Amino acid sequence: MIPIIPVSDFNTLNQHAPTMGSYTKTGLKNSPPLSLYIHIPWCVKKCPYCDFNSHESRAEIPEKRYVAALIADLEQSVPRVYGRKIRSIFFGGGTPSLFNPESIAEILSAVNMLTPLEYAAEVTLEANPGTVDTAHFAGYKEAGVNRVSLGIQSFNADALKALGRIHDDKQAIAAAELALATFEHVNLDVMYGLPNQSLASALADAKQAMALNPEHLSFYHLTLEPNTPFYRTPPSLPSDDTSAEMQEKIESLLAENHYLHYETSAFCKPKSQARHNLNYWLFGDYLGIGAGAHSKLSYHDQITREARYKHPKAFMENAEAGNAVDQTTLITQADLGFEFMMNALRLTEGFNTDLFQERTGLPLITIAKQLQVAESKGLIRRDNQTIKPTLLGQRFLNDLLAIFL
Amino acid sequence: MKNIRNFSIIAHIDHGKSTLADRIIHLCGGLEDREMEAQVLDSMDIERERGITIKAQTATLQYLADDGETYLLNLIDTPGHVDFSYEVSRSLSACEGALLVVDASQGVEAQSVANCYTAIDLGLEVTAVLNKIDLPSAEPERVMQEIEDVIGIDARQAPLCSAKTGLGVRDVIEAVIAKVPAPVGDVSAPLKALVIDAWFDNYVGVVMLVRIIDGELKRKDKIKMMATQTQHLCEQVGVFTPKSLPMPSLKAGEVGFVIAGIKELAAAKVGDTITLVDHPASEALAGFKEVKPQVFAGLYPVESNQFEALRTALEKLSLNDASLLFEPENSTALGFGFRCGFLGLLHMEIVQERLEREYDMDLITTAPTVVYELLLKNGDVVQIENPSRLPELSFVEEIREPVIAVNLLMPQDYVGPVMTLCNNKRGIQRNMQYMGRQVMLSYEMPLNEVVLDFFDRLKSVSRGYASMDYEFLAFRAADLVKLDIMVNGERVDSLSMIAHRGSSVHRGRGVVAKMRELIPRQMFDIAIQAAIGANIIARETVKAMRKNVLAKCYGGDVSRKRKLLEKQKAGKKRMKQVGNVEIPQEAFLAILKVEDK
Repeated sequence: MIPIIPVSDFNTLNQHAPTMGSYTKTGLKNSPPLSLYIHIPWCVKKCPYCDFNSHESRAEIPEKRYVAALIADLEQSVPRVYGRKIRSIFFGGGTPSLFNPESIAEILSAVNMLTPLEYAAEVTLEANPGTVDTAHFAGYKEAGVNRVSLGIQSFNADALKALGRIHDDKQAIAAAELALATFEHVNLDVMYGLPNQSLASALADAKQAMALNPEHLSFYHLTLEPNTPFYRTPPSLPSDDTSAEMQEKIESLLAENHYLHYETSAFCKPKSQARHNLNYWLFGDYLGIGAGAHSKLSYHDQITREARYKHPKAFMENAEAGNAVDQTTLITQADLGFEFMMNALRLTEGFNTDLFQERTGLPLITIAKQLQVAESKGLIRRDNQTIKPTLLGQRFLNDLLAIFL
Repeated sequence: MKNIRNFSIIAHIDHGKSTLADRIIHLCGGLEDREMEAQVLDSMDIERERGITIKAQTATLQYLADDGETYLLNLIDTPGHVDFSYEVSRSLSACEGALLVVDASQGVEAQSVANCYTAIDLGLEVTAVLNKIDLPSAEPERVMQEIEDVIGIDARQAPLCSAKTGLGVRDVIEAVIAKVPAPVGDVSAPLKALVIDAWFDNYVGVVMLVRIIDGELKRKDKIKMMATQTQHLCEQVGVFTPKSLPMPSLKAGEVGFVIAGIKELAAAKVGDTITLVDHPASEALAGFKEVKPQVFAGLYPVESNQFEALRTALEKLSLNDASLLFEPENSTALGFGFRCGFLGLLHMEIVQERLEREYDMDLITTAPTVVYELLLKNGDVVQIENPSRLPELSFVEEIREPVIAVNLLMPQDYVGPVMTLCNNKRGIQRNMQYMGRQVMLSYEMPLNEVVLDFFDRLKSVSRGYASMDYEFLAFRAADLVKLDIMVNGERVDSLSMIAHRGSSVHRGRGVVAKMRELIPRQMFDIAIQAAIGANIIARETVKAMRKNVLAKCYGGDVSRKRKLLEKQKAGKKRMKQVGNVEIPQEAFLAILKVEDK
């Protein structure tokens, strides 16, 4: 195990950390902010549209063994992020709320022991409205969770049924009210463009979500992902024009209610951005632990991606054996520009031009030609300080990103 | 020489010509079993895949006949499609006889009739053979009667065979020996060798396929091409068995190849006569009529920087395809490309496919058009190969379109639909003849109506039973107009077409409607208009797409998102950017998909 050093020592250590950037390959002067993602790969029932690494928990979930494996994984990973502060933690899934508060507490105290965790770091837990109760929420809060992201998806009973969710409309509202009563920071995930959904029904969902008054809302267009039942036998979905209208109407409703549209699908009250997700979009670093979790880690001379063993069983076995990482790949210089843009251009306000070099180690001039093309097509706007997508660029983000491929 | 038999096989596509050739080669031991593959004489991949023959090929075979003598058989395989009929006539002029192979279940088709008449005109002995008699649907009696009715040759004695099973193939060869006359020629006369075909080989240069009429040609002879008057040293002579087999000499009556260190195909003109420098023939043999391209289309690289690569590819292709013409052309919409002349639609399709396959080119092909003859107000007569080159109509007195004579052969049941089709295509009926159960229709039709989609339509209205043959007749004045297509207000020159006034509005609407289906929705509305002069006659709008964005992206596995975007981008690469609109390749051929009224 790595010796535990007080956080304050790490801070100073970090400041004097070798800034070899000027003569290394990527030329990264400073390490980007680091966040921690923890994957809980089980669900009560797999939803037909979901392509995440989640497994139906038919038998008993090996919760204890998995928690131990997660901690082992973290221990093994610490040397690669040695001395770097964790800015935020996110429990994603699957359904993290299937786990007992005690397990979450155990994981969080391990994180606290093994890494320097920033004071008052954002700690989010994804929860399914069908799996929570008062005791659970209180327990999570006790364990150190300070933000909950609820997968509401819809407040309409028929829509929830069509999505194969385990909760109904009443449970959706009850869960949201309970979360809001327990936690200061709450996000509600809502989807539109659902099977047989009308414009009115999509707007009713949006209004209901706003009536609950959470600080953060995510509105997603339902996407048919490959390797899902919906992809193989697509349900009858609203036309592209109808769902585009849903999006536009929802966006203006949210704006009227003072929700800031700051990322493709994310809206929030002022100063309530999801810090963990913002770190992804600003091309920060993240360590992902747990089955199939992905990491992006920058070193002074290279930027890499890691993937853990995908199947829970394989993950646990390998973590126990001493290495849960299945694959490590180098992000080539050619890909860095694109990957940065793929994230940063999701932000409505774009990014500061300095950030590009700060995060990729490449001078902005390497993508000057592409920026020119994007600007000439009216997809981005830029001044000396910032580059941001225009409204057209936001709507046609894929076309915009393709320029950087 | 009395034991030599030079013969060709005439047949409609799919009547089993190449398979029969395979059988004959096999039977004569031209190739070992292990070397046999289907359609051995079709050496191009594309020939095998489509089951057609494009280039003529030969095989020289030894055959021990029933009369105990050994015969030398020169089999010259010929293409069956109308586009390549010039190859057929060339091959036929090297022979004394021809086998007319007819599918015993399908009967005679127009192409066979046309080729058969060519053979008879050239003085060849035509022997009918019924193939595919193993099929349950074979009706040899009826087909024999049909051959007599339609072509007028005696078919009572026609050997019955099945090239597929090998049944009766020996009888076919015996019939060749019995019926085809031996070549006549004088070995001691000055050398006269007819160039039947020539192609370019990367290793040895031009290879000429020749028929020796008189005299003898040996290695190291100094030869002279009588038309071009160039002299060369004969490096090698030989025969194809069908593998190439060097021989010490080729004598009168024989068919073989000549390699003489010729570096370009232009110096070895097909139809030319080869003679000896030291002992020249007094006069050349009658050559062949030069073939002129009938159908023109623009070929453009999708990526404009591929222009030079396309030029190189076309040059290489034309080394072996003298009938392919091309010259650089510039389109405001498509950039730099080539206007290419083809013998027909199949030829065009094959060239396009070979460019894409063998040279890895991404191409945009414009709709095929024909040559128009213009009588200008100042009395000049000019020809234009590209509709967008049509001058201001105030300078034009008259537009003349090429008219062809078409012969169509079909079972009686389909006469009605075929006549309707021909009338729709502005055809004028010239003749109608009942021949047994088949009917021969003769029409005069504008070629521009035929090049678009006539073949496809003909096949569909006759369920594949009608066949056709055509030849150029004359240029005739017609009431033609230029139809322009505009995309977002910009005239796309490569979509311009010349149409008959009567059908122009219908056609304009059809093209515009089809293009609306073919052009994918983009970031903005796209207006597609058809115009005659300043008159807009049709308009359609491709509504703007509303959005194209991934809903979720949170770190995680980026490679999948990347792949999705790459797939989207690859789809666009196959499109041509005109102004700011991306137009897929198929849209440039929208006119081909417009239904008739």
